Amino acid sequence: MKNKGWIWIFVITVALLFLAGPVGAKEAAVKDKIRIGQAISLSGPLAGAVAIAGGPIYELWVEEVNKNGGIYVKEYGKKLPVELIRYDDKSDIGTMTNLLEKLILEDKVDFVFPPWGTAWLFAAAPIANKYGYILIGGPGGALKLKELSLPYFFQVLNFSETQAPALADIFKGVGVKSVAVISRGDLHGIEYGNAMVPYFKKKGIDVKMNKSFPPGIKDLSPMLKEAKSLNVDAFVAAAYPDGGMLLTGQAMELGIDFNAFFISVLPFSPKLYRGTFGAQGVEGVMGGGAWNAKTSPGAKELVDKFVARFKEEPDYWGGLYYWSSLQHFQQAIEKAGTLNQKKIRDIMAKEKFNTALGPFWYDKDRYFVNHPGEIGQWQKGVFEVIDPGPKRTAPPEYPKPPWPKK
Amino acid sequence: MKKTTSKRMFTFGLVLLILVLAACAPLYAPVYTVILLTSILMYMTIAVSWALFSGPTGYISLASAAFFGAGIYTSAILGKALPLPLVIVVGALASFCLALLVGALTLRLKGIYFVMFTFGLVELLLHFILWWEVTICGTTGRVVPPAGNATVFYAMLIILVILVLTVFIIRRSRYGLALFSIGENEEAAAHAGVHVTVLKIIIFAVSALFMGAAGAAMATRWTYIDPRIAFNPLISFMPVLMAIFGGIRPLYGPIIGAAIFTYLEEFLITRFPYYYMLIFGIIMVVAILYMPDGLVGLIQRLWKGISGRKHADT
Repeated sequence: MKNKGWIWIFVITVALLFLAGPVGAKEAAVKDKIRIGQAISLSGPLAGAVAIAGGPIYELWVEEVNKNGGIYVKEYGKKLPVELIRYDDKSDIGTMTNLLEKLILEDKVDFVFPPWGTAWLFAAAPIANKYGYILIGGPGGALKLKELSLPYFFQVLNFSETQAPALADIFKGVGVKSVAVISRGDLHGIEYGNAMVPYFKKKGIDVKMNKSFPPGIKDLSPMLKEAKSLNVDAFVAAAYPDGGMLLTGQAMELGIDFNAFFISVLPFSPKLYRGTFGAQGVEGVMGGGAWNAKTSPGAKELVDKFVARFKEEPDYWGGLYYWSSLQHFQQAIEKAGTLNQKKIRDIMAKEKFNTALGPFWYDKDRYFVNHPGEIGQWQKGVFEVIDPGPKRTAPPEYPKPPWPKK
Repeated sequence: MKKTTSKRMFTFGLVLLILVLAACAPLYAPVYTVILLTSILMYMTIAVSWALFSGPTGYISLASAAFFGAGIYTSAILGKALPLPLVIVVGALASFCLALLVGALTLRLKGIYFVMFTFGLVELLLHFILWWEVTICGTTGRVVPPAGNATVFYAMLIILVILVLTVFIIRRSRYGLALFSIGENEEAAAHAGVHVTVLKIIIFAVSALFMGAAGAAMATRWTYIDPRIAFNPLISFMPVLMAIFGGIRPLYGPIIGAAIFTYLEEFLITRFPYYYMLIFGIIMVVAILYMPDGLVGLIQRLWKGISGRKHADT
């Protein structure tokens, strides 16, 4: 008897949920806000990465814009506040593509923001392009994306194309003679690893080891030991945060030291990397990036705002890139005076606007080029930009001090 | 006698009506509805083909992602060279052959060993293809030429219709009976003269055939794939949950389960992005605890309760 009651409650609940289903959000007759949709990983394996790199920047930007009353759109003769509609793609590409099309077709949002991750960006860009929606790239980037040549896609983040030559220059400058390269077996790792080798060779640096490892591996110590036995000066890993954490932890435990230690995707995170191993532990580690509060007055302002809002520092790779791309986007909308994608796109593609990192513009392939930095290194708790040239905030520290003894 | 024929006519008419309505969906429904329907059709196909083998035999297979992934990879490799229908056929055959091979090796395993192996197969294939792509092709990830929303929708609809007809025919044949006998008591079935192993392998491969076809068709919606995307363990678990939710035994159980699950997920994920997993979990627990025969079983029981009372009076 009791059982039956439960079943009925369950059936009624499900039925009610369904009845509530088709009643969607209705488009307001009077335009009173700009609605921006984003399908991003709030759960699943990527959720942690979203939280440390990129995710919060979009929230902060929306809050900042609304604090100032919104974005002025001439067509409506007033400032329109921004509303961010976020859906969870469960770290699954199929779900992301569905939700992105739902945002565009059913919710009829005014703009879309990017999902997280290179592969996700790869899948999202052609969809946004198909419906004539501007997609400003966030976390992720690969040379392969250029091949698709999509007029509505803008690449913001730097990756191996500019970071690999910068790293080779830095190594040459400090006197690295030999290097071991390991790469994660995915789009990021393989492309990054393959991009670095020719630059090292060109600078006369001996690549003594070049291997890939499967994503999700639980022990990388054999690779560390092999590199050590080859007596290389520098250890370079094209890896994601999971692999990078494992490498650092194992190198520390086994006391395997190199004169230079580089991980592509991880050291930029003050929360995850410096937070886990301590400022002393990460001293001298290099990573892809890069910027810090010394980069520009706007960068300092972003750090302050971010710390005030989230009680921690922003990521020192993409944080300033995304922030500035959104400022560029806002100025393009205001200049266009309309929410028409085509008109805004045309302005974005050719106009230079001032942003937190300085002047911001895209090249002919719609790639952002004025990077605030390529390679960073932890020095006394600060992620210093060590690129040769004017972007440098501190000279490289070489050789890297040994891992702290426990 | 007459009553059953008219009832059969009614069911037939109803199915035909639903089919015609579905087939015309791209003509009248909004584009996003067609996309959602495509997802539903995809899960229906996987759930029904999963239930084709696992339902009667009781062998719980978690290899769906492997066969689906084989289809996806076929699409990625041949998508540029061949037209879509041919790609789907090749994807289906690739999956079929893979299942024949795997089935011949492993269908001697029973119970938990079989479950473990099938799940291991997904990881095995993932890492094999990863290794192959990295060391032989020097890359990972491939671009799949996209197809239109309506094209993918029709491809999935046709695959599902063929699948349902196949299942219907198999279940009504002596092989269907033999399959059920394996589920009841495998030794007894063998003694009764059923070629237990051969039958299991063939049905396992037929179920894989349709998963491969679905994978090949769906890959065109994702543009970019790599081994991790193609061999997503979620695809192994979802059909099991859907079939349990809808009811494993009747043919329409997994179909109803897949439809409700996919819609429910889409609804919860957009309405309650932070709580949907929790709500989903609760629904699943309730379904397993209180609906042992799934939604279909529950409705049948309620129906019997109502009509039974009526008959008691007369």
